[in-house]
Amino acid sequence: MLKIENLRATVADREVLKGLSLDIKPGEVHAIMGPNGSGKSTLSYVLSGRDGYEVTDGSMQFMGQDISEMAPEERAALGLFLAFQYPVEIPGVTTTTFLKTALNAIRKANGEKELDPASFLKLQKQKLTELGMSAEMLKRGVNVGFSGGEKKRNEVLQLAMLQPKLAILDETDSGLDIDALKVVADGVNALRSPDRSFLIITHYQRLLDYIKPDVVHVLAQGKIQKTGGPELALELEKNGYADFYGEAA
Amino acid sequence: MQAAVQNFKTEATALPHADALLWLTPAQTLSGDGAPAWIAALRDTGAASFAATGLPTPAWEGWQYTHLRPMAAAAFRFDAGGDVRAQDLPETLLPDSHRIVLVNGRLRPDLGTALPDGVKLTALMDVREPEEELATVGDLAASPLLALNCAYMRDGFVLDIAPHRDIARPIEILFVAAGDAPAAYPRVLYRFGENSGATLLERHSGAGAHLTNLYAGVVLKQAARGRYYRFIDANDAAVHVSRTIVRSHKASDFQGFSSVSGVAAGRQEFGLQLLDRGISSSIGGIYMLKGRQSHDFTILADHFDEDGTSVQHFKGVIDDQARAIFQGKIHVHRPAQKTDGYQSHHALLLSDQAEASAKPELEIYADDVKCSHGATAGMLDTEALFYLQSRGIPAAEAKALLIRSFLNQVLEKLTHDDARALYAARIADWLGAEVEADMAGLGMAEEDAA
Repeated sequence: MLKIENLRATVADREVLKGLSLDIKPGEVHAIMGPNGSGKSTLSYVLSGRDGYEVTDGSMQFMGQDISEMAPEERAALGLFLAFQYPVEIPGVTTTTFLKTALNAIRKANGEKELDPASFLKLQKQKLTELGMSAEMLKRGVNVGFSGGEKKRNEVLQLAMLQPKLAILDETDSGLDIDALKVVADGVNALRSPDRSFLIITHYQRLLDYIKPDVVHVLAQGKIQKTGGPELALELEKNGYADFYGEAA
Repeated sequence: MQAAVQNFKTEATALPHADALLWLTPAQTLSGDGAPAWIAALRDTGAASFAATGLPTPAWEGWQYTHLRPMAAAAFRFDAGGDVRAQDLPETLLPDSHRIVLVNGRLRPDLGTALPDGVKLTALMDVREPEEELATVGDLAASPLLALNCAYMRDGFVLDIAPHRDIARPIEILFVAAGDAPAAYPRVLYRFGENSGATLLERHSGAGAHLTNLYAGVVLKQAARGRYYRFIDANDAAVHVSRTIVRSHKASDFQGFSSVSGVAAGRQEFGLQLLDRGISSSIGGIYMLKGRQSHDFTILADHFDEDGTSVQHFKGVIDDQARAIFQGKIHVHRPAQKTDGYQSHHALLLSDQAEASAKPELEIYADDVKCSHGATAGMLDTEALFYLQSRGIPAAEAKALLIRSFLNQVLEKLTHDDARALYAARIADWLGAEVEADMAGLGMAEEDAA
């Protein structure tokens, strides 16, 4: 599904990813753990195509296509989704309008018929119910006045509505208390399926108690330093990242 | 930005002063037309004042940023003789409205509709004994455009809403320009009788170059409720200058709004005069400018008595090399205790050559007042843009969505749903066809969902 080989990327002329490789197969849940400044968020932005994040070497194949030159919306249309660490507030655009515009843009890009308002609202209602969310937040501007937990839940709602093939969760656990974390994790777990993959980017092991990964990677100094099973996350929690600084230096 | 302002100063200051006489020459054709004495007198006063001042230059207070070059450069013609046929008029803004039509400033009863009971229309030239709102013009030396409007005084009307009448359907006042670069100098007075209510939709329309120099008076007698919505159609060659003075009496309620979808040059002045107690008066607007267009909103809210509320809400987008000016002032006179005054102006710059100049001012002589203002100018939020794109929304559509939501926020305060929808549609029009029609009313989908 996603195959990254020897990826190098710069931000503001500084090389942050220094030869990163990663292979995610359909249905797999991968976790990338790493200390601050290791390149975790850069990876999520490079994958989703944010301006200013430049690939200088290596390749990124998603759904069999080279995505490195694609605009963010083209990647989204292919089925890539990034749940933001800090979801953006957009005053004046209600969540409903936002979701409808996004969903129909993706459908249109894939040659599917756009949803009429009635079918859209029906789908939206169904997803809300499944996620146990209130319709109240849909009427407000996107993320405006939302608590940290509400913002992350809104990300999960978007995930549920857009049904991507690969979802990248960038520090989704940051700023969440344990109850909010459970709600978000339940939402994500409900979306796991044999043809949907997840890439969970996190500093702490905590989230992985609730979303069980198949594979855990350690990212430090812009490279994957170690790959293992879920036990690797526990090991890191105990020993910290100090070992990997030494290795890469 | 500073450099551009400097440039403009040099050029505009160099306008030959003798231009004033060129501007005034066509007005001489009016003499001996049988105008009532008060009109003839105002013409003379206006002409004498304008001859002495000429057009304002950037050296003048309040004119530092305003861009009158397109007005000075084009050869606008008074009484140019253009006309329109009934079938060429645009549809009414709302399907169920009454309509008053003016072509090149001249009242055309043949093109309008009948007006309902309780509404009386009088042509300006038929007004023999003017009330002060029609004949008082203030300091003409400080207002050359108004002086020019006086010098050409002939066209326009007085619209009276009878006391205690609520006019259910909106009244549209359509100003159409027709012919070869016509100039129009209409003067209108909208008078809301005691405890009356009405909604006015004033539209400025017409293809090609034309000049509109409008003086509009609005009077709200005690407890009257007036809604006054102005629409200036997109036109790269039109010059629109206007002064609108809203005189509010005890416990009346005024809501005004104006949208500009593009003009070669424009300046709309609004004066809100809160003359007695317990008055609410608000004015708002949106502007959407591109190319080399320029537009100026100059607002003065004057609080003369206690317990008044005035609100100014303006937003605009500026693309290419266009320029926008906002000058807003709240003046609280000494007796006006317990005044509540608010003013905001927010500009969105879509290109790095676009310019926004804002001059907010508070002048307060009473001690128990609440006044505040806010002004910003910024670019599109790149984070928000990326967020939308990452959800699959193409860049152009994402930009349009952000611009639309930015502008839509000032519409939320409008109490007339149809007017709000009309303004939302103007925004969508300006942004182009890529905006889905069903997104024009942001609130619609949510209501269905509830």
